[in-house]
Amino acid sequence: MALKTQGVGVALGGTLVLHGIDVSFMASRWTSVVGPNGAGKSTLLKALAGLLPHSGQVLLMDRPLAQWRGRERARCLAWLGQGEQGADDLSVWDVAMLGRLPHQPWLAAPSHADRVAVEQALRATQAWDWRERPLGALSGGERQRVLLARLLAVDADVLLMDEPLANLDPPHQADWLLLVRELVGRGKTVVSVLHEIGMALHADRMVVMAQGRVVHQGACEDPRTHQALEDVFDHRIAIHPLGDQWVALPR
Amino acid sequence: MKTMSIRRWLGAAAVLCWATALHAAGLQVTDDRGVVVSLPQSPQRIVSLLPSLTETVCELGQCHRLVGVDRYSNHPAPVRDLPKTGGGIDPNVEAIVALKPDVVLMATSSRGVQRLEALGLKVLAMEPKSSADAKRVMGKLGQLLEVSDADRIWRAIDAGVMAAAQSLPADARSLRVYYEVSTGGYAAGTQSFIGELMARLGVQNILTPDLGPFPRINPEYVVRANPDLIMIGVRNVQGMAQRPGWRGMRALREQRVCVFTEAESDVLVRPGPRMAEAARIMARCIGDKGRR
Amino acid sequence: MSGARHSLWLASALLLAAAAVLLLGAGVGSTGFDSVLNARTDPVAWQILWDIRVPRTLGAWVAGGLLGLAGAVAQGLFRNPLADPYLLGSASGAALGVALALALFGTSPFATQWLVRLGLTSAAFAGAVLGVVLTLALAKGVQHTLRLLLAGVIVGVVLGAGRDLVTIASPDTLQAMQGFMLGSTGFVGWAACGVMAAMLLVTVLVAASLGRVLDGLALGEATALSLGLPLGAVRGVLVAVLALATGAAVAQTGLIAFVGLASPHLVRSIVKTTHARLLVLSALMGGLLLMAADVLARWIIAPQELPVGVLTAVLGGSYLLWLMHRRRRPGGGL
Repeated sequence: MALKTQGVGVALGGTLVLHGIDVSFMASRWTSVVGPNGAGKSTLLKALAGLLPHSGQVLLMDRPLAQWRGRERARCLAWLGQGEQGADDLSVWDVAMLGRLPHQPWLAAPSHADRVAVEQALRATQAWDWRERPLGALSGGERQRVLLARLLAVDADVLLMDEPLANLDPPHQADWLLLVRELVGRGKTVVSVLHEIGMALHADRMVVMAQGRVVHQGACEDPRTHQALEDVFDHRIAIHPLGDQWVALPR
Repeated sequence: MKTMSIRRWLGAAAVLCWATALHAAGLQVTDDRGVVVSLPQSPQRIVSLLPSLTETVCELGQCHRLVGVDRYSNHPAPVRDLPKTGGGIDPNVEAIVALKPDVVLMATSSRGVQRLEALGLKVLAMEPKSSADAKRVMGKLGQLLEVSDADRIWRAIDAGVMAAAQSLPADARSLRVYYEVSTGGYAAGTQSFIGELMARLGVQNILTPDLGPFPRINPEYVVRANPDLIMIGVRNVQGMAQRPGWRGMRALREQRVCVFTEAESDVLVRPGPRMAEAARIMARCIGDKGRR
Repeated sequence: MSGARHSLWLASALLLAAAAVLLLGAGVGSTGFDSVLNARTDPVAWQILWDIRVPRTLGAWVAGGLLGLAGAVAQGLFRNPLADPYLLGSASGAALGVALALALFGTSPFATQWLVRLGLTSAAFAGAVLGVVLTLALAKGVQHTLRLLLAGVIVGVVLGAGRDLVTIASPDTLQAMQGFMLGSTGFVGWAACGVMAAMLLVTVLVAASLGRVLDGLALGEATALSLGLPLGAVRGVLVAVLALATGAAVAQTGLIAFVGLASPHLVRSIVKTTHARLLVLSALMGGLLLMAADVLARWIIAPQELPVGVLTAVLGGSYLLWLMHRRRRPGGGL
């Protein structure tokens, strides 16, 4: 298990948002986390990344998160938040280079390895051509691709993504799918929160959440997963097979 | 005969030696900070940054020794032609240095004191608040300027104040007065030189001694104290009637308010040689508006 | 990278302009250009030139540099373009220190001897540091940015009230405080210059070394944490840098507004770059701004002087107004 939680609870502003979550994410697999609004998906991801105080335990590579040192953990686990604002003055290249921070010693200039990683990341998201442009001058979709590149540049073993497809048009969503497949093929663990159920069903495994609890976790092809999905959305959607994929359509 | 003249000569020689020795030792004056300033001789080039000190220097007959003053010094008339070197609080350091003064007279509460001393100038910081302060400062300036009998200024002030007091009728003693010195409700307390002047004129101050020399008074206090006479400068009289409760006060209803012109205010708020004139201005006000 | 090249060009331009303004500043003052012409023969003219004009012009540059750096640090740390070096209670603390020193000057002769030696400058510096310490105590550390901002505003208001109380208790300090609040380089000599220059060097080096962390912070606190950045420790160091820089400048030149606010904006409108370069450029820009304002303040109504704080407020305010006007025009996005 790359990532596992034991009884994780998170309280935000006095109210309990996550109730005793027990969930595990297999290594070298892509798991998507789905659920209605307010289910606590983003909160779960933040807790997994160690960004929120929580009760219970999170185990990264079978070691409690608390035992990982900051930079060590940052080299192993990378997190991309939802709709990150700011850094408008930095160039695309500089933003991607931020992903190399966990690898860079304190005052060192970017090394050759850093530059190679950044170039690879930018090319993977088709952002290499505008690496000199400031982030603020980009459109929503272009910006998202640069932020993805920042995530990729970390070269971490576990990648957590919160709504990575925001603002991306269908061709780029397809690109992202290919990218994730390639990452998983290389042995990386990918966890993504997606509200596009159709895309989420492309994953290997799925975690279905509702009201701060995990309702179901299992393989995406598993009919029980589909059942759980339909339950959690009050049967307003139906899962249908389409060739070798599954699609979710409103009833 | 011969022994008498020898003695006289010896006496004269002794005096001469003593005088030379004193002169060689130079002049030593202690300012209000407790700093002892040594000068080789009585200063010939003086910059004054406090109007009351400027007026005192001129009153001692040494106006010609002033080479620069602050922008607020405007009396006596010759002073107005002197180069202005900023204010007391924000002196123009360069202008002062350029005038090559032997000594700079300024208030104790000014930042410029340290800077000027750091540049090698001699600074005497003095700031009189009460009448005793004013008398002491005048004596010190007399010592600095080597003017004999500087106390005559004080005696003249004393006489002038007494004359002003005597010009007032006996029932002036029961008058209760309030003097607002500056905007924001700062009043003249009993320990200020203005308050002491009022006491010498025989009137009563509505402020109590525990409030200090220049307290900031709540306008409500004045309404409660209900003074018989209000003294205020023309700069601060704006909006006085609009203060809550003031319009109903007897002093305002019966127009018992003395509004001092700018020139009169200048005389009243400076603890300098014109304090006798200040007493006269105040006495005139009390005589005019204070009568029942 | 074009960002680096542009930054270098801007830095050189700012340094050259500063040198030019320094030369101008040496020739401007109440005695005019005569002092320069007579400097070789007249010792007083030389003293005016070398002991008064040059240190205060240079001092304006260094103080402006400190304020510009503090502004850039504040805006990066709080991710707010309106952040100001005075946000952590340092300005109010400095003003309170000065008020207390002035009040004691007039009343207690014992205090005067000791204070004369320490000087008002040290009182202001101590007050600035105290203000920051109080803010940190109220915010319970530097963990939470919003709490820090709020605590800074509260401490600013409370210390300001304290200063008003002191001023009322001894009303002869009122005028002196007003003079201090307006800001002036008139009392800056070589010693003051040296102190500020040392502070500037230290703060610029420390802040620039943390530039990368500020870049990471730009994408949000959560992202910065996920990148393994030691946010708590870095925030603490940067707040200390902010306090030192602001305190050193305020202690020597009083309260001068807008330099810390406008310098980072001015730099960003010319060059878009990472924080490490932005911090240095902001310091250079702030130095040039304040030095130019100081020379103008001495020149416009010579032989009299305008308070430099008034000029920076006018210049900085006009710039901000123009900035707002540009944003309001359609298509005039930044």
